[in-house]
Amino acid sequence: MTQQDLAAISRVLYAPVTIGLYFTAAFVYLYALTTTVGRARDLRRGRLARRVAAAATIAGLTTHVAHEFARGFAQDRLPLGNMFEVTSMMALVGVAVGVGYLTFARRRSDLNGFVLLAGALVLGFAGFMYAEPGPLMPILDTWWRPFHVSLLVSAMGIFTAAFVFHALYLLRDSGDRANPSDDAPGSDDPPHEPLAPGLGGSLADRVDGRDDTLDVAAGATATADAVDTDGALRVDSDVALKAVSAHHAAVRRQVSVWRLVVGTFAGAASVSWVFIVSADSSAAGWGRFMTINLALVAAALVAWWFTPYLPSGATLEGLAHRTIAFAFILWTVGTIAGAMWAEQSWGRFWGWDPKETGALLTWIAYAGYLHARATRGVRGRPAAWIGIAAFVILMGTYLIANYVIVGLHSYAGL
Amino acid sequence: MFFVDSVMMGWRWLVRMRTALMLLGVLGFMTAVATAVPQAPNVPATVDAWLAGDEGPGVAVATVLATIGAFDVYGSPAFVALLLALYLSLTACLIPRIRAWVRLVRHSRPPLLRHAPSEAPRRIVTDRSPGDVLAAADQVLDRRHWRTRRSDDGHFDGPANGQLDAQSDAQSDGQAVEPATAPMQVAAEKGHWSREGGSLVFHVSFYVLLAAIVFGQLLTFEGQRGVIEGAPGFADTEVSYWTYRPGRWFGPEDHAGWRLDLEQFHVDWIRDPHAPGAGQPTTFRSDVLITPVDGEPFLADVAGNRPLVIDGVKIHQLDWGYAPWIEIEVDGDVVHAGFLTTVVDDEGVFTGAVKAPAADPDVGLEIEIFPYAPDGDDGLPRLTGAPWDEAPLLIFHQWRGDLQLGATQQLITELDTERMDLVGWGFMRPGQDVELENVTVRFVELRRWVGFQVSYRPQIPWLLLASALLVGGLVPALYAYRRRLWVTVRSDGDSRRTLIEVSGRAFQRQEIFEAERDEIVEELASIVGDQPDGSPDPAGAPASEESR
Ligand code: HEM
Repeated sequence: MTQQDLAAISRVLYAPVTIGLYFTAAFVYLYALTTTVGRARDLRRGRLARRVAAAATIAGLTTHVAHEFARGFAQDRLPLGNMFEVTSMMALVGVAVGVGYLTFARRRSDLNGFVLLAGALVLGFAGFMYAEPGPLMPILDTWWRPFHVSLLVSAMGIFTAAFVFHALYLLRDSGDRANPSDDAPGSDDPPHEPLAPGLGGSLADRVDGRDDTLDVAAGATATADAVDTDGALRVDSDVALKAVSAHHAAVRRQVSVWRLVVGTFAGAASVSWVFIVSADSSAAGWGRFMTINLALVAAALVAWWFTPYLPSGATLEGLAHRTIAFAFILWTVGTIAGAMWAEQSWGRFWGWDPKETGALLTWIAYAGYLHARATRGVRGRPAAWIGIAAFVILMGTYLIANYVIVGLHSYAGL
Repeated sequence: MFFVDSVMMGWRWLVRMRTALMLLGVLGFMTAVATAVPQAPNVPATVDAWLAGDEGPGVAVATVLATIGAFDVYGSPAFVALLLALYLSLTACLIPRIRAWVRLVRHSRPPLLRHAPSEAPRRIVTDRSPGDVLAAADQVLDRRHWRTRRSDDGHFDGPANGQLDAQSDAQSDGQAVEPATAPMQVAAEKGHWSREGGSLVFHVSFYVLLAAIVFGQLLTFEGQRGVIEGAPGFADTEVSYWTYRPGRWFGPEDHAGWRLDLEQFHVDWIRDPHAPGAGQPTTFRSDVLITPVDGEPFLADVAGNRPLVIDGVKIHQLDWGYAPWIEIEVDGDVVHAGFLTTVVDDEGVFTGAVKAPAADPDVGLEIEIFPYAPDGDDGLPRLTGAPWDEAPLLIFHQWRGDLQLGATQQLITELDTERMDLVGWGFMRPGQDVELENVTVRFVELRRWVGFQVSYRPQIPWLLLASALLVGGLVPALYAYRRRLWVTVRSDGDSRRTLIEVSGRAFQRQEIFEAERDEIVEELASIVGDQPDGSPDPAGAPASEESR
């Protein structure tokens, strides 16, 4: 196989294959989430859907890895040399670690859909930075580079998963206001009040174990007829199902859709303006800007619709914290490795180059999050907002330092 | 008194976590400014362009930015003040934390339960005596590095517990425990001092970092010097560097005095214009001859990512360019002869300036080297931006008048043509010359030069130490988790068997604690004999004979 063939294969594996598989897996997982309460038939469909989604996820990860290998061999180097490659790898690590952690460490594979949706979007946006495979500038060509870059890229992917968890936490926390049994927002441990009247003690325990009070929250007259081994709740009566969907609607009403849409658009725009500045033509730039913003708004609306199916705020917040803790360590080590590489390559370990400053800024932002979470009166929602702001800073510095300010680091010039 | 009061108030303010959070926020904001606004120590030219209004948001905004010190954030008094506040806050925070931590490590004992656990614990039933069970539990927990305490060790005074967990539900803190109501038990805790200890090591690493940076600034040295291939190089002395930046405590006597000569410089590119990455450099390496003050000369090479290290001094290859040997003859007298170090510009043209004040009036040349300018069909050179010197061409503009050397501030690469007149221009290949109004300019040969950076940074091992402490502390700070476990035993009077109950709680990472507790229960069950409760085994199954 020639290198041209490999390049062509890597292109196809990237789009449509991997992107398509990620979107498929994401939506099938999300569909499966809606089947956790329902008639026996729905529950059966849900089980099937989860199996299909898992298969699509594995297939997507496989083709993504194959894409990276094909691209690597097409250019005889690690595919971490430009914005496209870095962004694509970030999506790969985010999906692999996010889904792996949810599935194997936390047994919460029901949330995989959200991580996959984010991964699919990041991978899609990478297309805006697409560059054909090519060799690397010699100054970049040392083992320090893969070490430093892969740590930071992995951290970026995992921070992306944490961002998803924080966003879901905020949605769920807002939705909780529909749930009279919950106490103050952001409390570490919302007590699980007796669920729907009619749920027996042991049944209530099982539902409790599923860590979800919203489906059959107080007020709904649902009578669960059985609980599946995987925690799904069988409800047969029409009255009960109506009560459940009325409750779902009430949960969604707690979130102001307009604020969600405007906020998401503004948050996305605070980063995606870089594409307007950096594109060759202003039409292309505005096109990218609007595509990214609207895609993220659409994703936010999808997440909003699924609010009633989310696990408790404490669980989501815990997921965000654990993922950030892990990625923070990677980011710390990666930044130190970057300083060591700079000393090796340029003879100075720190030069306040825009990328170095950006890495430090991101690090400070996430340290701020960790402190906020440990501070009484700030933990909960405010800390989550700091976590979200930290992610905006991460993406902003990543794009600005590469596209707007040309420093020593930028792949653009040397 | 007022003074003391305000100091105390200030201290209390500094100790608060919210203060640290706020200071981190300000640090983040300043860093954001430094990312968005060009920094003078970094890119002085861009800053000048902003101030002149050629680039950036305009003169008015730039003037405001300059007033508030935004062009040099890390050198501004505000940044120094912030750093001071941050370190004060850090210190204020750490002193009580370290004290509490030492107390914790030395004295903390897991609190005993006063009553049999009420929440559903794991249960084991066994034929062993309660004393045996407690010994086994103690052993299991000990092997897993838990800090344990037994109710039968005779100390029922309240434990001198660290103040770490206000949330503790074990009601024994600071109070005497009634042996009569308290069940027989092994109480255990883990992660208490590793989590906090990690966090302390992490925070303490910032002092090492600060010290390394401050002393590094004082002791460091950095100099740059260009060397022409095959021509005499330079010696490591105070006077031989083109740019020279010693720290305050670095004196002339600290130079080692070795000589560096550039034997050969290797550079190549992807020359095929259709290949991917066309025009990118592929090789970038210098063969140098080093002559120590007392020792044998030796050959070494310096490449992009491979600096040469001599006695802790690093030599990096930073940049390179073409170096034409240019002679200027005025009325038969040679007024200038030497290599010119040209620097590449954005278009791939190597430019420089020759200043010959020995002529009267002064001669100045603006030089452009086009490394690859092959002859076209009409016999005239065709200019390309390619960097390889297969058909080099030199183009010059000749100026006469007053160079104003010493009178104005000027770059060595540019002429100040304010008081000069353009005589004309010409082009030539190596070995050729051009005469313009009695001035002969000769392009004798073309070589290359390499810009070396020499740096001495004694702070690097200390920075590595700070990094190791930082990461080494961060991992336990974020991954260790505080948890407590109680193994209580009770004799069942009728069946004369022993009921073991294992309860516990984690203050962080509940999700992995449960698995850990289950493991401990399994292990204990495998030692004392029976299956954990809830297994299909009937409760009355005979105990296994396994013992330790
Ligand atoms: C120099 C800037 C600082 C940085 C970069 C920094 C960073 C961090 C980080 C990353 C953590 C998380 C570790 C953990 O969760 O245990 C942490 C924890 C902590 N920091 Fe800082 N810190 C700084 C300054 C301070 C200051 C000035 C204070 C004092 C007010 C402070 C008090 C704390 C406390 C009490 C914790 C423990 C939180 C917990 O137990 O979760 N830090 N710090």
